[in-house]
Amino acid sequence: MATTAEDLAREDKLQGLGCSRKRKEDPRFIQGKGTYVDDVKLPGMLFADMVRSPYAHARIKSINKDKALALPGVHAVLTAADLKPLNLHWMPTLAGDVQAVLADEKVHLQYQEVAVVIADDRYIAADAVELVEVEYEPLPVLVDPHKALDDDAPILREDIKDKDNAGQGPRKHPNHIFSWEVGEQEATSRAFDEAEVVVKEEIYYPRVHPSPLETCGCVASFDKVKGSLMVYITSQAPHIVRTVVSMLSGLPESKVRIISPDIGGGFGNKVGIYPGYVTAIVASIVLGRPVKWVEDRMEHLSTTAWARDYYMTGELAADKNGRIKGLRVNVLADHGAFNSHAQPTKWPAGFFSICTGSYDIPVAYVKVDGVYTNKAPGGVAYRCSFRVTEAVYVIERMMDVLAQKLGIDRMELRMRNFVKPEQFPYHTALGWELDSGDYHTALTKVLKAVDYEGLIKEQAEKRSKGELMGIGVTTFTEVVGAGPSRNCDILGVGMFDSAEIRVHPTGSVIARMGTISQGQGHQTTYAQIIASELGIPSDEIQIEEGDTDTAPYGLGTYGSRSTPVGGAATAMAARKIHDKARKIAAHLLEASENDLEWDIDRFKVKGVPGAEKTMKEIAWAAYNRPPEGLEPGLEAVNYYDPPNFTYPFGAYLCVVDIDKYTGEVKVRRFYALDDCGTRINPMIIEGQIHGGLNEGFAVAMGQELPFDAEGNILGNTFMDYFIPTTMETPHWETDYTVTPSPHHPLGAKGVAESPHVGSIPCFTSAVVNAFAHKGVTHMNMPHTSFRVWQKIHELSLDKRE
Amino acid sequence: MQVNIDKSFPIASSAAAGWAFLQNIPGVAGCMPGAEITETIDDKNYKGKVKTKIGPATMAFNGDIVIKGINADKRELRLIGTGQDTKGTSTAEMDLTAWIVDADGGGCELKGKATVTVNGKAASLGGRMMTQVADQILNQFGQNFINNVITLGGDAEAAEAAKEQLAEQPKELNGLAFAWSVIVGFFKSLFGKKPGDTA
Repeated sequence: MATTAEDLAREDKLQGLGCSRKRKEDPRFIQGKGTYVDDVKLPGMLFADMVRSPYAHARIKSINKDKALALPGVHAVLTAADLKPLNLHWMPTLAGDVQAVLADEKVHLQYQEVAVVIADDRYIAADAVELVEVEYEPLPVLVDPHKALDDDAPILREDIKDKDNAGQGPRKHPNHIFSWEVGEQEATSRAFDEAEVVVKEEIYYPRVHPSPLETCGCVASFDKVKGSLMVYITSQAPHIVRTVVSMLSGLPESKVRIISPDIGGGFGNKVGIYPGYVTAIVASIVLGRPVKWVEDRMEHLSTTAWARDYYMTGELAADKNGRIKGLRVNVLADHGAFNSHAQPTKWPAGFFSICTGSYDIPVAYVKVDGVYTNKAPGGVAYRCSFRVTEAVYVIERMMDVLAQKLGIDRMELRMRNFVKPEQFPYHTALGWELDSGDYHTALTKVLKAVDYEGLIKEQAEKRSKGELMGIGVTTFTEVVGAGPSRNCDILGVGMFDSAEIRVHPTGSVIARMGTISQGQGHQTTYAQIIASELGIPSDEIQIEEGDTDTAPYGLGTYGSRSTPVGGAATAMAARKIHDKARKIAAHLLEASENDLEWDIDRFKVKGVPGAEKTMKEIAWAAYNRPPEGLEPGLEAVNYYDPPNFTYPFGAYLCVVDIDKYTGEVKVRRFYALDDCGTRINPMIIEGQIHGGLNEGFAVAMGQELPFDAEGNILGNTFMDYFIPTTMETPHWETDYTVTPSPHHPLGAKGVAESPHVGSIPCFTSAVVNAFAHKGVTHMNMPHTSFRVWQKIHELSLDKRE
Repeated sequence: MQVNIDKSFPIASSAAAGWAFLQNIPGVAGCMPGAEITETIDDKNYKGKVKTKIGPATMAFNGDIVIKGINADKRELRLIGTGQDTKGTSTAEMDLTAWIVDADGGGCELKGKATVTVNGKAASLGGRMMTQVADQILNQFGQNFINNVITLGGDAEAAEAAKEQLAEQPKELNGLAFAWSVIVGFFKSLFGKKPGDTA
């Protein structure tokens, strides 16, 4: 529509959809002027610190707090026995289980919270922690989930050992949590029986940790006079926290105010409710003073929310041409000592059943068994929608394994099995409705960009010289934007999200959402949506999130749901305002609504040059002289319950060179094409993709949380846990196609997690491909130099001539 | 974190002298760098402590030693030591069997088999170096043990030298020198020597 220079200038001024607008958050972040939980200082504030267990499994024989209480500056030492009269020594989890707030008679994991010390400052609290004397009686430890269901396995959860249901269906052993089945078992078995070719692979997805820069923490402040509670907290879902706190404390939800201030990264780590939060809140209520709890790095890596830990057995059935006939996946899931994974209620294995991927697979069957072990509870969605990373990993690995077995090029095998553009909306064998996609175009574009034929030729030459070069590929489909409330809820609250927009008399805007940014740039992008919808410049639109006293109820930000759900709510609320503005414009212009047309930032009367009213003029009129019968003011709220999930996809290709004497893997090239539907801010998208690829690289090449036989965690410092810096990070090349979502108001799908989900199997694919000519079909992560060297050595590829 | 250690130390002294000293629990405990018996409850139960300093970090373990068996025929002693560090973050347990045998070329030999289990922060932070650390601690222990036995039953000149060496022994585990010997031991083990080999 905009054709003249004047039109273009007007449109540019808005900085709306599709504009690489600079992030509004950055000026305060790069100047160190953000306000994080640990920056919050309230008068009279006390500090909490935790006494933690050195044992992974032990009975607590006694706790002596006399010496700690005698230390000047110590206000209280709380144990499970102190919380018991309040019924807060255990708390419900999002998964229907219960979790000990402070260890009740027994510890179930190393570093478990045994007592909390409240003191005048952080240092006194830390000193007092060392003075609390705890006597333990060690018990046999269960570390290997494969042994959890043995007859002679130590029983971990004595509190529920007689229950035949731990919140997610029948269970068959005291250490068993749930069995979850999707798909058609018999039909799938038939497909395998009749198949010309069958492949099977054992694939372990290690336990990893999201490791945001900022650890978890809170400041709880109970006002005894008002009877109200305010909590500053590192939460990706402040409204749900308010609901949970109200339910646990008995305070009315209206007297609980939760504030998520600036958050230094979440990646799924900050969705759950942790014992530290609960004890700080209890201490504040008991003492009537603000209490701050902020965990240190070791506590964070040891106890708050790891991800993955799936032992997967993938199987594909196909014909000789590589057309897939069936998929079967069995999973043993290590959930740790309490089932407190953060997934929508009805999804004990999250959206793992998206594991049919981008492929047209006629029949499939998936079974996931969750078990308890003496490890930290968690199972969060680390930069992905719930368990989607695991699902994409298993199907993408199996596609490579099948291609290798058949001797068909891996790209060609994918092309033969892709869901075709005309098949959308496509119903997968496991119950998903893929909204839109064009997988062939995406992969074709990537292969051309990297000169795939040239790479294959080069690899053949290198192999003939005994050098190791690998080419990795993934063509993934993610499911994000949880989700339709008919399928998805958390503690019974449907997974809608919300936006409230107020246009002020002078035409500036304040808008509040139920989501919460942790670095995604919501202040920037939500404003762009409103700018395009209402014709008001982005710079005049203020976005606020995270304060439950002011923002409408929302389920928060994780699983790439902000754009698909919160962004949709924002567009829909803006459209309500747009509709009202049209009525006001018609009144002002003395024209019929039907005779008006919208042009960037104003309504015009069709065919009457000069008869027009800008949104600013309309805003003033809304407060000054609204038409008869119309309420004054210009604001709207929308609660958006999405009709479906969104399904972003992508095609990635990775080239690695491996030093056969050291095992070092060098990522020579990584080409990432993402299709997230309509693009709101290309610069932010690119930044999110870089971040996601970085975290994918971290997981694939180095991150893991291993345990020894006694249940000691061995990766809980940054000496051991791999965080890639600029020194290790490869160069990323990004590209895109645009296939809008047909059901989203803007056609947008969400993007920040795709690069994480998509890149991890791509790195494995590249590393394994370097050894494919030696018959290697799979290697488990992380692909550290030592582990890769072990494979080289095993294959005798490191012999010097 | 659990490691198994086998050690043997040749001693230029009679097996009888070796066995005599092995039964002196406070004496044997004193051979452990930084360790001492703080209380003798009865002839089977003792309380002790171990203090170690590595760089700025000091760890002090308080614990119990229980004598599980003394076999005079085999000249063998079995004991279990359990301890918790005073900060409550780590625990350690050692199940040790030690015995004295006659050596081929005269003198005797102290032999030991130990299973050491460490839990908590010490395992998380130091697990990877534990084999080397335990190896070095036991090497120092062995040297002290030898000197003690020679003081009791060696010839006069050797006994005097052994006494002097014992007097020079620092009262607690010396951090930096100790860390260096761990590192040296680690690299030695890389080049062919098995970690369990004696010095």
